[in-house]
Amino acid sequence: MPPSIPVSATDAAAGPRAGTAPRPPVFLRWVRRDWPAAAAAGFLAVLIVLALGAPWIAPYGYDRQDLDRALQGPGPQHWLGTDQYGRDLLSRLLHGARISLTVGFSAVAAESVLGVAWGTVAGYYGGAVDAALMRVVDLLIAFPSLLLAVLVTGIFGPSLVNIVLALTMTAWPAMARTIRSEVVALRERDYVEAARALGARPGRLLLRHVVPNAVHLLAARATLDVSALVLTEATLSFIGIGVQPPRPSWGLMINEAFQFLQSHPYLVIVPATALSLTVIAFNVLGESLAERLDPRQRRRG
Amino acid sequence: MVPLLLGTALLIFLAGHYAPGDPVQVLLADHYTPSAAAHLRHELGLDRPLAAQFAAYVAHAARFDFGVSYINPDRRVADIVRQTLPISLRLAALAVAAAAVCGIALGVCAAVFRRSLADRLIQLGVLAGLSVPSFVVAAGLVLLFALRWRLLPVAGWGHPADYALPVAALAAAPVAYITRISRASVRQVLTEDYVRTARSKGLPAGGILARHVMRNAALPIVTTIGLAFGYAITGAFVVEVIFNIPGMARVAVDAILQRDYSVIQTAVLVYTAICTLVNLAVDLSYAALNPRIRY
Repeated sequence: MPPSIPVSATDAAAGPRAGTAPRPPVFLRWVRRDWPAAAAAGFLAVLIVLALGAPWIAPYGYDRQDLDRALQGPGPQHWLGTDQYGRDLLSRLLHGARISLTVGFSAVAAESVLGVAWGTVAGYYGGAVDAALMRVVDLLIAFPSLLLAVLVTGIFGPSLVNIVLALTMTAWPAMARTIRSEVVALRERDYVEAARALGARPGRLLLRHVVPNAVHLLAARATLDVSALVLTEATLSFIGIGVQPPRPSWGLMINEAFQFLQSHPYLVIVPATALSLTVIAFNVLGESLAERLDPRQRRRG
Repeated sequence: MVPLLLGTALLIFLAGHYAPGDPVQVLLADHYTPSAAAHLRHELGLDRPLAAQFAAYVAHAARFDFGVSYINPDRRVADIVRQTLPISLRLAALAVAAAAVCGIALGVCAAVFRRSLADRLIQLGVLAGLSVPSFVVAAGLVLLFALRWRLLPVAGWGHPADYALPVAALAAAPVAYITRISRASVRQVLTEDYVRTARSKGLPAGGILARHVMRNAALPIVTTIGLAFGYAITGAFVVEVIFNIPGMARVAVDAILQRDYSVIQTAVLVYTAICTLVNLAVDLSYAALNPRIRY
């Protein structure tokens, strides 16, 4: 099930509160009005800083084994304890965040470029081009995303590049569809007409007048897609066809710890919590962005 | 559907051909010598032109003959599918049935009592259901029900009790999804004029819900249930591995890990066919539910 679909949180955006004397700064107003999204954004900001700084912040290397200290509980030397090879759980968690987020963001970047280009061309030119391009999209959307991801990594073998490729494959058709529906409406706008009348070439027309006006959809969609793709990456790694050991990924850490579920459940609980919170945070933030950036966009269904 | 399957077959065939990893090398392992490799290559037909290989492959596949597994040459792929696919389908069907019942009940409840505490709790559960990965759900279920309270078996397949945890783990995300769509759909219909008319006539609330609301809210819900089936089929990639269920998804994962070509190819075709059939069924159900849609 793709978590990319925004989850309904608030039904009516709070209207502007007119007349309240000194208005607090924009940031504080945002926090007060939409605290779940603010909390999610704060959590993700901290996570991204930790992930970027993992090599310097993490107390140990992610693959440094110390078999004498295997399967220790949380303590002063290892804040979150150690796994079955005596590797520091906190360090692996931080490096895992680095890998999961890198893979997620790379795939979203690739998917956005492809999806926007595809959707813009289809929506702008219409007719047979549109029909042909969207036919491909319809075909791909019919497949559950995990199936596509498993097949792509299954065929090409697991490597970080192939995982990014697989995740891109699963996400770009929905992006193309979203962008196309907006471009179809933008195409008829007067300012696009005017630019065309002035003799703007298609490339300039699309890049300067059409794409920038569809970008608000991109922001919301991309945030939601990060959550979906981080989840898919974790699933691939959990199955064993994603990130390969000894590199840590949250999904892989859960996989490796699964056999110790009975004796050392925290080895599963720690990465599972990190993964779930991250996905929830991206979902909450993406949902809020979708509502804020485009009030017309009603959720699917 | 036939062109789609043919196209998929061609793609997977080419991808398999150019993918890294030589099945002959895997098969021979320690006994690898150039002459033995050439012999085996000939036996498997891997030395013929690509087009001939593909034509032979399609001709055989059309008769449900997918050759033998590269890793276990004494097992025919068609037999593997015949034995394992029904298990995966049953698992998915049970999960979707459970998800449909729970999801519609929760979604209708949330829509009818909107803005209530129940609605808010259900919304929170939906967010969790869509965000928490199935293997985390499975880990939690195993930890509580199998290891801590020892109510259900940890893994296995055969006993009815074995079904409970995998089906629950597999149904978690579809429940959230169906709940969300049901809530939105029912809420939308509840604002229609004919519902207000029915209310003002003094019809009982249950009757309105059953006769006026549900029938008109059904279309998106059915679509979602169709989608959920697709997701349950693929969710099995995780659940079958965790609970050690001898289904098709587990076979596919094992084949991928061992680079067992012929099994991977067949699995892709089988899953493509299933997805296409599910989408077809959903389209046909539109026409059944909404007489205005004609094909």
